[in-house]
Amino acid sequence: MLFHEIYGAYFNTVSQIIKKAVSVPVTDKDIRELISQYAFSESMLSIETALKEQHWQLLKRDGTTPIKNEPDISLTLLQKRWLKAISLDPRIQLFDCDFSFLDDTEPLFTNEDYYIFDKYADGDDFENENYIRNFRTILKAVHEHTPLSIEMTNKKGNTLSFDVIPEYLEYSEKDDKFRLLTSGNRHVSVINLGRIISCKPYEGKAELRRTIPEKPHMRSVTLELYDERNALERVMLHFSHFEKEAEKISDNLYRVKIHYEQSDETEMVIRVLSFGPMVKVTAPAKFVGLIKGRLRKQKSCGL
Amino acid sequence: MAEKLIKGGENVAYNELIKNFERIRDYMRDFYVYGFKSRDDYTNKSARSYDDERRRLESWLGDHMGFRQTADGKNVFISINSRITHHNPLYKAWKAKSFTDGDITLFFIIFDILYSPEIKLTNTEITEKIDSEYLCFFDEPKVFDSSTVRKKLKEYESQGLLVSEKQGKSLYYKRAESVKFDHTVILDFFSEVAPCGVIGSFLLDKTDTHENSFGFKHHYINHTLDSEIMYRLFQAMHNKSEIEIEKVTRRSSRKRTMKVVPLNIFISVQNGRQYLMAYRRHSRRITSYRLDYITNVKELKQADDLDELRDILDNMKKYMWGVSTQGRGGRRETVEFIITYNSDEEYIYNRLVREKRCGTVEKIGENSCRFYAEVYDTNEMLTWIRSFICRITYINFSNKEIENQLREDLNAMYRLYGLE
Repeated sequence: MLFHEIYGAYFNTVSQIIKKAVSVPVTDKDIRELISQYAFSESMLSIETALKEQHWQLLKRDGTTPIKNEPDISLTLLQKRWLKAISLDPRIQLFDCDFSFLDDTEPLFTNEDYYIFDKYADGDDFENENYIRNFRTILKAVHEHTPLSIEMTNKKGNTLSFDVIPEYLEYSEKDDKFRLLTSGNRHVSVINLGRIISCKPYEGKAELRRTIPEKPHMRSVTLELYDERNALERVMLHFSHFEKEAEKISDNLYRVKIHYEQSDETEMVIRVLSFGPMVKVTAPAKFVGLIKGRLRKQKSCGL
Repeated sequence: MAEKLIKGGENVAYNELIKNFERIRDYMRDFYVYGFKSRDDYTNKSARSYDDERRRLESWLGDHMGFRQTADGKNVFISINSRITHHNPLYKAWKAKSFTDGDITLFFIIFDILYSPEIKLTNTEITEKIDSEYLCFFDEPKVFDSSTVRKKLKEYESQGLLVSEKQGKSLYYKRAESVKFDHTVILDFFSEVAPCGVIGSFLLDKTDTHENSFGFKHHYINHTLDSEIMYRLFQAMHNKSEIEIEKVTRRSSRKRTMKVVPLNIFISVQNGRQYLMAYRRHSRRITSYRLDYITNVKELKQADDLDELRDILDNMKKYMWGVSTQGRGGRRETVEFIITYNSDEEYIYNRLVREKRCGTVEKIGENSCRFYAEVYDTNEMLTWIRSFICRITYINFSNKEIENQLREDLNAMYRLYGLE
């Protein structure tokens, strides 16, 4: 069973409290700090009370515990089977890890058990040796916050070189691609890993300064949504990964405001258009203009 | 541990933890996906239930919860930009399973008694130690009889944490060989992108705090609400079992059950849905069932033909745009359209190629190309085809009803924006 208390925040928190109490008596302050770190915002009262009132007989009145060893729970079968399953995923080759300890474990699922039917066909080649090498170099640099020299091809096929400070890797399940978000170079802030020819630790003399990455420029679009052909469910689910606000205007009319990053505006226009007449953009005027522009162009195509 | 509330003369306890995931699953989906319903809209549920579930979600999700006052009342919503959250906040719900005082007390004591795999003890020995070495320190020691302890030992054995060994007439318990996995970077990634990723999140909870190297775009974090269902379906497929699924219908909360052979899980990374593809003997068809509508899965007898049925589904894939499968008549529909683009818009052609799925793309001029596919259900393609609006110069569907629908949609859009 996946929904089980041994994986829960309370067990984890109590484990941390006992871990401390095994060596030194824990104070009320210790307990509260650990609860606020590991449990939920309303857990304070319940966990502390249960321990202090000895409903859970794990902590003595003096803050010590009869438990003699630091709690150390091994992997459950469920966890092992899940790890075995991810060890069969082609993307695991990006990471340097030996899974031979799971040789006797049955996977929870295999790549034949599920199928992502709408991811794009030009995803990164996770089994390409050069790609794997570049990925690992980048990942190490992200961890260590050390600069990189990257050679890549741009959309036009030209070779470009950049010295950058890697910030983090972004993965899109739809694109099936990794992108590196960078700082320290005003000419580039995002690099598709699939376009990288080579990368290596930066050895230049000039100091590359890590700049605080600019917060993405956020924009919003307001839609009126007519709930026909199950549009309400389809639209709300489709845009669910954005921050958004929704309200019901009348029986089958809804208003939805979606916040998106400016750099994704074209994608947003396409996504909104895909819902046809069930969705009407009402604001901002610029976005309405983008939709109208496309519709005018479509009309001129004779359909 | 529970706060006592008085209602109608009865004591009603509020507990931050929950016994059953199903109810909170509904609320989370409503608050996250929709977020416009007021308390009064939850007509199928009691006001008490609504208040408790809302309060729990506030406790678990804190900053991600929002409120809006409207004429109809206060609306609660969960708003998360999944692109800037490194870990799925909805996983917290899976970590809120309730338990008894005995469950937690015994868990830590038993694993302390069986600290290493070298220690082997019988149920009786363990029960004695629980009393004499642990509970004796408390003012009013709890009493656990050997059958309660045995039940826990068996439970931990089934979870792979303990192993039992028969020696003579006695059954000994010891810890399973200790296995650790602390590759946080692997867990950071796969806990977000692999099916049942919440299991990776359980593992991450055991690791030290660390900086996360990954962000995720187009990330449907709501998929986790179906993790238990998906887990049980994987189990059934692994065991090659037929199953009985209990599902709610889309338009009502009425439940119905059906027996099917589970074949595959189809996941969408574009519309946020996940499906069970299963064969229903009753109708002799392979059909899709939304995972978010399935409320229970029960394993039945072996399905000896599961592999053959999977092969049939695999063969169908070349005509499946989404999840619609071959009907009884075996009829397929053809879809053809042409798009044009400017000479500096070669990326449009590339887009078509990478998004074509089971279709084919053919360049028919310097700046135009033709898409063609044979599919079971043209209707599934309309959303995608409309995303090419501004470039479509020709359409020809064998299903004229759907073709007319697309043409009418375009006209309706022109009207909607005053472009007639």
